[in-house]
Amino acid sequence: MFRDVSFGQYYPTNSVVHRLDARVKLLLSLLFIIGIFFIQSYFGFILTAAVLIFIVIMARLPMASVMKSVRGILFIVLFTAILNLFLIKEGRVLVHWKIFTITENGVHTTIKMTLRLVLLISGASLLSLTTTPVALADGVESLMKPLTLIKVPVRDIAMIMSIALKFIPTLFSETSKIISAQKARGASFDTGNIFARAKALLPVLIPLFVNSFRRADELAFAMDARCYNASEKRTKMKKAKIGIGDIIAMLFMCSFFVVIILERYYFPTIGINMDQLIFGGLV
Amino acid sequence: MSQIVLKGVSYSYSLGEGRSLKALKNLSFSIEKGEFVTLLGMNGSGKSTLAKLLNGLFIPSEGEILIDGLSTASEKNTFEIRKKVGMVFQNPDNQMVATIIEDDIAFGPENLGLKREEIVKRVDEALKSVGMEEFRERTTQKLSGGQKQRIAIAGVLAMRPDVIIFDESTSMLDPKGRDEIMDIARKLNSEGITIINITHSMEEAALSDRVIVLRKGRIAIDGNPKEVFSSELVDACGLVLPLVTASSKNLIKSGYDFGCAVTSEDEFVEGICKTLSK
Amino acid sequence: MQNIIEVKNLTCIYSRKTPYEKKALDGINLGIEEGSFVALVGATGSGKSTFIQHLNGLIKVQDKKTMSVSVGGKSLSDKKNLRNIRFEVGMVFQYPEYQLFEDTVAKDIAFGPKNMKLPAEEIDKRVRKAMEVVGLDYDTFAERSPFDLSGGEKRRAAIAGVIAMQPKVLILDEPVAGLDPAGREEILLLIKKLQEEVSPTVILVSHNMDDVARLADRVIALKDGKVVADGSPKEIFADRELIKESGLEVPTATRIADRLRERGIDLSENIILMSELEKALAEKLEDRNV
Repeated sequence: MFRDVSFGQYYPTNSVVHRLDARVKLLLSLLFIIGIFFIQSYFGFILTAAVLIFIVIMARLPMASVMKSVRGILFIVLFTAILNLFLIKEGRVLVHWKIFTITENGVHTTIKMTLRLVLLISGASLLSLTTTPVALADGVESLMKPLTLIKVPVRDIAMIMSIALKFIPTLFSETSKIISAQKARGASFDTGNIFARAKALLPVLIPLFVNSFRRADELAFAMDARCYNASEKRTKMKKAKIGIGDIIAMLFMCSFFVVIILERYYFPTIGINMDQLIFGGLV
Repeated sequence: MSQIVLKGVSYSYSLGEGRSLKALKNLSFSIEKGEFVTLLGMNGSGKSTLAKLLNGLFIPSEGEILIDGLSTASEKNTFEIRKKVGMVFQNPDNQMVATIIEDDIAFGPENLGLKREEIVKRVDEALKSVGMEEFRERTTQKLSGGQKQRIAIAGVLAMRPDVIIFDESTSMLDPKGRDEIMDIARKLNSEGITIINITHSMEEAALSDRVIVLRKGRIAIDGNPKEVFSSELVDACGLVLPLVTASSKNLIKSGYDFGCAVTSEDEFVEGICKTLSK
Repeated sequence: MQNIIEVKNLTCIYSRKTPYEKKALDGINLGIEEGSFVALVGATGSGKSTFIQHLNGLIKVQDKKTMSVSVGGKSLSDKKNLRNIRFEVGMVFQYPEYQLFEDTVAKDIAFGPKNMKLPAEEIDKRVRKAMEVVGLDYDTFAERSPFDLSGGEKRRAAIAGVIAMQPKVLILDEPVAGLDPAGREEILLLIKKLQEEVSPTVILVSHNMDDVARLADRVIALKDGKVVADGSPKEIFADRELIKESGLEVPTATRIADRLRERGIDLSENIILMSELEKALAEKLEDRNV
């Protein structure tokens, strides 16, 4: 049941996207995500999807690897979609049956909400698919550096983050092993009501916690043995350098952001409606 | 002066509520530079505790441990000692901190605050030493157990240690992985690095210069493999002799003569051939 | 004897239609007789673990039309058989102590029988019996936390948790991995005892050919998901070419006998145990002295 969950695991292809500076990627991902929240029109969504696909191609990732992350949150996506569909009562009524009403506004909001979530997750997973946990942690550390002035243990936070990311796959494979072992003793995880099911998970969760603590203990020893915290001036083998690729990426994402903002706030004031132009009377 | 010196070392684990468990009792011995020492003993005999004492992960409750004359009890020596005494642990998955192999190997040197060029040089050397150069930029996940342990060794080598402790590093590996790790340990030993191998394998013990057997926190036997394998204390220490050694003892009763305690297949074969050709 | 396990045409492909596609099993056909002690051998990644997980339905047969796995004549593709077969085929995974979870040893061992919906007295009886067979004294261990036991005791408690279901077939995946020599010996002797007292059919996954030679009456060797050798230990280990091709080793006794033969000492090619080698060598010396 957990075999296929591998949310945004680093996928090495050594593409131009992989080689971008992690800090730049972090900031641009943030920009991308903020951008998505400004989108109101279908044009915006299409543009964003196009940008996303372009990045996936540039990163030489299989589309499936991105879709996998979306599959992980499919339940949440469907749940919000259904809520939106039935709870929004404004606008022209399309279907009315007993207490259920589906309106035109409801349909539009649902579609947009779903697109927003899917694009959001895909965008975030692109970051972790193309950036190693260590680079990511280094990036976070570097960006958070000013916080060391107010005594935030930035280096430790970054280390914890990188280790957490590294151990996610280990945790999944361990979970599936324990599930198999308990199933072999007749445990069933898919029968009974919600309480019975929660209780049925104990034989999985307890060993998982016990083993994780043991792992953490061993890892702590291994890190200490390799002189973690030995020196105030921990150095880095890989020095992040802003290159020409990073500048191009920044320009590219900034223009994307500007278009999204213009389309929402400026185009209407000069009488341009992109959705009208593209879809005509459809929307 | 010996490279590693233990003087009356005891270690107790606190069990809470004022109770404690004495894992090691009054150990005194020393290890010379370049030795290949095997530590044997049943689970719970104190082997792993001893390993953790040798690089300052634990500090003796009583007595003193000196590494090149530096006491592990003094905090200012801790990192100097950990630089000298590297450690490879049992579970390959629980000692790697990074996803990319070169990043993991660089972890130690980075902690030491070395210059970038120096780190790169050391990572190169370490990878070469364990024969994993072509894996440099790959992820650690798809590796076999033996390959993962080789990376762990490389991570230790990048700190240029004088001593490497293998804490049951082969116990989770298949026979091929075991052989790989033991071959590397012997190669490093021939290059002058002191090796301390904690293991349950008597076959591995037979390959070393010296075997120390622990029993209930004390040294029960200390000698070369031949002395240890012919000791009367073998059973009491929970050891099981290698098949060839056990078998040679039976054959001596039938009239075969091996000259000395058999520790390897070579000696076994020679003894048989010699007796039959007499 | 009748076959308790029948495997037909079993193929299993992981990550189908992706760059990671891997054929873990490739057209396996075999039957396992009731009462046999089978050793399953093969290098890491040869498909052993995928194979054994098919035998109690933890991994489902990928194509019901062409492949089948059945236990005691009941097909695993049939959903209503699945649960019962789980109880008939007991599986001890690698490092089984990492799956202990209850607050007492007795409760942990009772987990399987409870899932079988047995009456309370029967569960208690089985827990006691299981503990006795694995050599954990009931009065000493029943109420202790499994997390406070020593490594060897934990492993025995975990094995007890499987045999408390009294499965007809017992599968053990490297049951002695990571134990000290004394612990290894205990568990190996225990497995023989389990076969006599609880589970008549045993499948043992092992990398140690000396253990295999000593315990098994049939060896099945896998390589790249295919059965590359199947027969008695003597037959299998006699075929040195095959052993090499399958990435396996011969037992110590066989290897030494080969070396002695190269040195001109006439020994049978069928030696797989040290006791056999010792006997042959003792006879040699006697013959010469006569």
